[in-house]
Amino acid sequence: MDDVKPKLIECFQIVFPDMQEKDIPTASQETVAEWDSVAAITLVNVIEEQFGIEMDLDDVADLDNFEKVRAYLEKRQQPA
Amino acid sequence: MKITEALRIVQATAADAPPFRVTLACGFTPLHLHTFLQAHLQLALPARAVHIKDGLYADLCGTLERGGDNDGVVVVVEWPDLDARLDYRNAGGWGRDSLASVVEQATLSLDRIKSALGRIPSGIPCALALPSIPIAPIFSAPGWQASEAELVLNSALFHFASELARDGRVRVVSRERLAQESPWETRFDVKSDLKAGLPYSIKHADQLASLLAKTLVPPAPKKGIISDLDDTMWKGIVGEVGPENVHWDLYGDAQMHGLYQKLLGSLSDNGTLVGVASKNDPAVVAKAFERSDMVLRPDQVFPIEASWNAKSGAVKQILEIWNINADSVIFVDDSPMELAEVAALHPGMECVLFPKEDPVAALQMLRRLRDLCGKDKVSSDDVLRLASIRQGAAFRKQAEGGSAPESFLQDSKAVITFDFSAAAEPRTLELVNKTNQFNLNGRRWAEADWHKDAASDRSLIVAVSYEDKFGPLGTIAVAKANFRGERLLVDTWVMSCRAFSRRIEHQTLRLLFETAGVDEIEFAFQATAKNGPTQEFFASLLGEEPKPEFRLRKSQFDEHCPALYHEVKELKKAEAHG
Repeated sequence: MDDVKPKLIECFQIVFPDMQEKDIPTASQETVAEWDSVAAITLVNVIEEQFGIEMDLDDVADLDNFEKVRAYLEKRQQPA
Repeated sequence: MKITEALRIVQATAADAPPFRVTLACGFTPLHLHTFLQAHLQLALPARAVHIKDGLYADLCGTLERGGDNDGVVVVVEWPDLDARLDYRNAGGWGRDSLASVVEQATLSLDRIKSALGRIPSGIPCALALPSIPIAPIFSAPGWQASEAELVLNSALFHFASELARDGRVRVVSRERLAQESPWETRFDVKSDLKAGLPYSIKHADQLASLLAKTLVPPAPKKGIISDLDDTMWKGIVGEVGPENVHWDLYGDAQMHGLYQKLLGSLSDNGTLVGVASKNDPAVVAKAFERSDMVLRPDQVFPIEASWNAKSGAVKQILEIWNINADSVIFVDDSPMELAEVAALHPGMECVLFPKEDPVAALQMLRRLRDLCGKDKVSSDDVLRLASIRQGAAFRKQAEGGSAPESFLQDSKAVITFDFSAAAEPRTLELVNKTNQFNLNGRRWAEADWHKDAASDRSLIVAVSYEDKFGPLGTIAVAKANFRGERLLVDTWVMSCRAFSRRIEHQTLRLLFETAGVDEIEFAFQATAKNGPTQEFFASLLGEEPKPEFRLRKSQFDEHCPALYHEVKELKKAEAHG
């Protein structure tokens, strides 16, 4: 679970290459102009590839900031 | 390719690289298709910075009609572009009455798309993909049966595509190849379509983008195939069983060898050089090629190098006769050892195993050879290529055979034709972009840039073709110049190495002075690692090594130009346009 954060930061860097690494943990759709609906889908796809998971579009609608995405991924990694 | 990889490729593009601008016209949200297309094009054009411009949602024709400054156009048609009722996101009815109207509307939409495509400026490459997701279940027949309306719709679609392909301005992605690369059942992402307007699965977007990129910017085809004979060109060891007992047909259980010969013959007819490197007795090989049932005709192969020496040596001789580099050539043999021996001595050569015991693998190999050598269009020069190589060999043989060069040139009955209307001919740019040794500066031109420059009133482009008593060489040289006030600046000048030693370069220079009516010509010369013959030519006129951007006076040229014996013909732009 410890490796979720750095891996997720890498995903954000791939989708938002102009974003400073230090700004990523506080990033949200409100603060990042490039994080529009199209970028959101790309971000989901990149996370799917990097984490080897499938994310349902219905589930990800509310994932509008870094912390929420991290929490979602950590929850997904917990044993059922 | 994965999305992550595609994004990394796109982001690694050098910001200061010259741009390659592409309009992506489609009626849906392109998203991943955009990303993958950009990445695949970027891989194909590493020296350019690929920029993709999308159009508006549900407005494919509008995107095309608005045009823009493009180096290429990619058009992806989907069913909703033909009629909104074919859109899964649309609420329009699928009733019996609407079916005929859907087909009618689709035909009108195809006409409109065709008309919009016709307005793309000449010389801008355009790649088109036909609908690739399953059509909505609107037809009355059960899914396993093709209804009349469905067939009519598909017929209209194929008619539309075939007319565009015939016109030559649009290259169409093969639906068959797409079916091989992207299985039908994994193409459509209905959830993504309904939620985001993106109908393609990620895998399908990648596969389609890959084919679109190859269609828009095709890889350079290989120029030649060198083939082994025994158990490759035919089944059997000709030296052991005799020329009459090798087989390439069904009855000899050797049909794959016959198909291989058919493919080589077809490639040869289309301008791919075909030669033979075989460890055999030359007399026995000659006998086999005399067989009247041989599928590959003797005139489709040159040269045939048969000896008991190493194959790599025979390959080297063939490359010298063809005067092309190893990386432009494929070597086919049934022996992994021979392939390894040739590969070791000719790095860069594509070495392909002929899988003589496996028809499935053999068919795959035939498809691969077609992919590696295939051309969008076959020019008259392509058709002449092998004859031209033979001509060159005969020319060199006679020139070395004791005739004095002057009398030899005088007796060669050479005719040079200067064509001022060939700027748009594919062969013209092809020659510019592949010639190394006689090349003014090594500059390679993008298709769109070339056509834009050629369209200028100040531009002068001449394509040079040559023939003599040994036969035609076809189009062998191209020069491009621009008038700068009273001066002429030659920025591109290439000549095929097949045409060396005939003083064609001197005659071309004389023509440039006469046509332009100038006393001095400036050359945008740059020495390259490969253009030694160009440097020597200019040094012979200047009396010193050429410097970048040098000028040559007509008096200098006249003083050093040797006697020219060619008959000269000129085809002017005005003649070409009637």
